[in-house]
Amino acid sequence: MTLTSKRLSAVWLAGSAAVFIAAAAFLPFVGPSRLDWVHVVQRQEPDWSILTQLRVSRTLLGLFAGGALALAGSVFQSMLRDALATPYTLGVSTGASLGAVLAIAANLHTALGVTGVWAGALAGAAFVLLLVMGAARKERRVSVSGLLLAGIAINSVCGALILLVLGLSGMSQSFAISRWLIGSLDAVEYPTLLIYVAIVTVVSVGVIRQARQWNLLAVGESWAATRGAHVTQSLVAGYVAGSVLAATTVALTGPIGFVGLVVPHVVRARVGGDDRLVMPCAFLLGGVLLASCDALGRVLLAPAEIPAGAITAFIGGPHLVWVVRKGSTR
Amino acid sequence: MSALLQVRGIGWHAGPVAVLHRVGFDVAAGEFVAIMGRNGAGKSTLLDIIAGIRKPSEGIVTLLNRPLTTWSATERARIVAHLPQNLRTDMTMRAEALVLMGRYAHQSQWFESSGDLEIAHAAMQRCDCFQYRDRALGTLSGGERQRVFLAACLAQRPQVLLLDEPTTFLDIDQQLHCFTVLRDEASRGTACLAVTHDLNLALTFCTRLVVLAGHAVAFDLPAASALHDPGWLRVFSERLRVETGTAGVRVGYQ
Repeated sequence: MTLTSKRLSAVWLAGSAAVFIAAAAFLPFVGPSRLDWVHVVQRQEPDWSILTQLRVSRTLLGLFAGGALALAGSVFQSMLRDALATPYTLGVSTGASLGAVLAIAANLHTALGVTGVWAGALAGAAFVLLLVMGAARKERRVSVSGLLLAGIAINSVCGALILLVLGLSGMSQSFAISRWLIGSLDAVEYPTLLIYVAIVTVVSVGVIRQARQWNLLAVGESWAATRGAHVTQSLVAGYVAGSVLAATTVALTGPIGFVGLVVPHVVRARVGGDDRLVMPCAFLLGGVLLASCDALGRVLLAPAEIPAGAITAFIGGPHLVWVVRKGSTR
Repeated sequence: MSALLQVRGIGWHAGPVAVLHRVGFDVAAGEFVAIMGRNGAGKSTLLDIIAGIRKPSEGIVTLLNRPLTTWSATERARIVAHLPQNLRTDMTMRAEALVLMGRYAHQSQWFESSGDLEIAHAAMQRCDCFQYRDRALGTLSGGERQRVFLAACLAQRPQVLLLDEPTTFLDIDQQLHCFTVLRDEASRGTACLAVTHDLNLALTFCTRLVVLAGHAVAFDLPAASALHDPGWLRVFSERLRVETGTAGVRVGYQ
């Protein structure tokens, strides 16, 4: 790190953090019904309830879900050395989706004290995680090619099963499933949000602290192994951490696309390929992107809502093409 | 003085196929060894085993009188640097950041110190790539990138330097430059082992040739006397001849 690049890193980090905090403060006021500052300060209804019960929790969910997806995408892109890797590449999110879809199809409203969709998603993710890990292990070692093959194979099986369930379920369930599969943000209860934010924060800090290992693995497995990295442990840790981030997020929001693919690319093109800077910035800016897309979806066709997942795809797709055409991506 | 690196009875099998069988030699500090042999002779496999990336099916590698298997990855990375083949090319990482990876094993802080930066810059200057320090790796040519990777190995300040075909992608001037840098590094006391197919480069710059054939070490001879006893050339091709011309003694072909 030269002095200038250290200063540049600090500017990027501080800037991203500032945008994140600004989004958290400003976005709850965006929505179909106008909120008045004065009413909020005086705790007048309904403004106070709309803000605290609906908009704040929804904005926080967007910020952390976007951050979790962008970070999971960064980890997978680095450790798999694959520019097209997303949090969904290795199958865990499709497993989570399958679990959630089964829960919807079975009309499972609650299970073990939590929402049925949640329980189904987490169970599906855990099942796929064990399956991929078991398939990728060979002589007590895990390789990138093993993870990719096992992940993609199980991904397509889960995708096929989702289509099967969708085809076999009745009209109303099938509508709920299709709606869920687009991915959208909704207000969540504060206890649920608190657990989610705690998990995402702990896992993200753990992942970002290992940024030097991700840098080494991004060059190559042999390269990493002879520069002090524990390749198998790092791959397993990265896979599990990325999967926890993706699965807990998918359980709450459905499979929101493009944040995990686009944000790491755009950030990398701007700040260079050092994950010590890319990962924290991707987390903060990914959160801002998703929360903003959701806010946009609330007002564009109000009173109808456009799901956040559809907006991220609308914005993310063209932007990625633009970045690639500029030739500055990895 | 005991050898820096001891390779004893190394065997390696890919399933039922033996790639290496009872390979053994010692390397002392300051030697510059060319590992040679035809395609599929097991050169890269041997280098990976010495680097600790692959576990041998049999035999033992000893580094500084300690079995390699007892070294932790970080401890090993402070002593041994390894330049693999086929490294990733499409990276946005800056060249300087890549060279600084050589310092990761030497300190546990998140960011490198100014001392680390000085070591990285010195290595980049020696490898003639300091001018690319702010360029993204993906924008460099194959040869330019190879020099950056070599600088990262030097920045690791290793006692053992393992290189798998380091002159791939380099033009002839840069090949000579690369082997000159390695010869300097060896004269400073680093044991250098390079896999290469270029007989004349090996004969000119290396101190010793280890030729693999038939899964084992077929020839192990000092580079200085290699041309007086050219039987080892038969390993590579029947068409090779020793030629004496105005440029000195060289290997030529018919």
